[in-house]
Amino acid sequence: MAEEFQITDEMRAQIGKESEPWEYEVTTTSVRMYARGIGSDDPIHYDVDFAKSQGFRSIVAPLGYIGTPVFLPGKNDPTFGFPRREGGPRLNIPFRGLLDGGTETEYFDVICAGDTLVETSHLADLKLRESGRPMLFVTNEAVYKNKETGKVVAKQRLTSIHM
Amino acid sequence: MAQVYFEDVKVGDEVPQLKKNCSTQQLVLWAAGSGDFYQIHYDKDFAQRTGLKGLIVHGALKNAFLGQLLHDWAGEKGHVRKFGCAYRGMDEPDQDILCRGVVTKTYQDGGKNYVELDVWTEKPDGAKTSPGTAVVTLPSKN
Amino acid sequence: MAEQNYFEDVQEGQQLPPIKITPDKQQLVKFAAGSGDFNPLHFDENFPMLKPMGLTENIVHGRFKYAQVGRAVSAFAGYKGRVKKFGVSYRGMDLLNKEITVNGVVTGKRQEGGENLVDLDVWTEDPDGKKTTPGNATVALPSKG
Repeated sequence: MAEEFQITDEMRAQIGKESEPWEYEVTTTSVRMYARGIGSDDPIHYDVDFAKSQGFRSIVAPLGYIGTPVFLPGKNDPTFGFPRREGGPRLNIPFRGLLDGGTETEYFDVICAGDTLVETSHLADLKLRESGRPMLFVTNEAVYKNKETGKVVAKQRLTSIHM
Repeated sequence: MAQVYFEDVKVGDEVPQLKKNCSTQQLVLWAAGSGDFYQIHYDKDFAQRTGLKGLIVHGALKNAFLGQLLHDWAGEKGHVRKFGCAYRGMDEPDQDILCRGVVTKTYQDGGKNYVELDVWTEKPDGAKTSPGTAVVTLPSKN
Repeated sequence: MAEQNYFEDVQEGQQLPPIKITPDKQQLVKFAAGSGDFNPLHFDENFPMLKPMGLTENIVHGRFKYAQVGRAVSAFAGYKGRVKKFGVSYRGMDLLNKEITVNGVVTGKRQEGGENLVDLDVWTEDPDGKKTTPGNATVALPSKG
């Protein structure tokens, strides 16, 4: 019963379990589409020559865009696109409602078109709030490394609310 | 689908039908994939302001479905050389779109095996919404 | 593109130039395309999940608002600055066709690890002035000298 939901020890044991890695691609096409998607006209996200003239490798990914996960039918969620993969946490959440709780990105380098990133993620936190109806806050942390250099370029913490 | 060979095909043969049914999510995915963000395909108010009854399926998406019909039939060893259709009738989301094709001609030319087809999409009542044609080359059995 | 901000010129309490955007359905569909989030919650007025969530209209993706905050922080950093960190919480929902305003203010300046860091409070507001997406950011700015 969703109303009697409690976070179990089994759920807490999932915290820290690292998923298998997944590749995220940052291409000129995907950077431009994301920039159009957020309504930005900044040429740094569209014009490769301009971006290079400003000292960047290529057009710069708008803040918050860390590439598009490689999509393989059957392996990625068809609506949200995220990869369902081996390893990582397994939570059985009985709530049907899903809302975005929060997003935080930490950058260690600039992400540009042409980068291929390798991402691993783990469950970082679970919190249950009872305000009228039970709400489960699930926080995942994802670490992105540049495939070529092996260096960490960004980390993202994503919180989703299940209710 | 098992590979189809030129020797097995004759005029009048129908290719296996492909049934599609587009959710609004599918239409938005097509907008993303094609870059065509025209609002008549996902914004009902906008569609009605242009005089349409409601949302309609992109013509180019139906064309792509016919491409899929042919690609599936031609198999790994066959090649779709040419295909096209006219967007005569409108199709709506959440309604079956049946993709069909019939062989109209077979011939050999320059060492290749050609098959020409009539292709089209059909509404549930049988009305042909996107009539077109295609040219496919198929492998020989030997 | 806004003029480059330099560390020496930035003052605590300084307001960021606001960014305003009124997302219509086409904008949200383009965002779905760019972000890969095709949740019908954001573009299908008949989506069955709207009612149980108490909604009569489609809502704006949380990540869309995050990206708007990102635009403001990017503009503040300029091409010579580097955004170190930025994060938000999605406290309130924003509806389709309603104006979203991004505001920000400098809350502090410091030097750490050889970098000139500026801390900001940033947020989005709905047309009633409600802070729907509160957040903060840290930006490294270039020095003039």
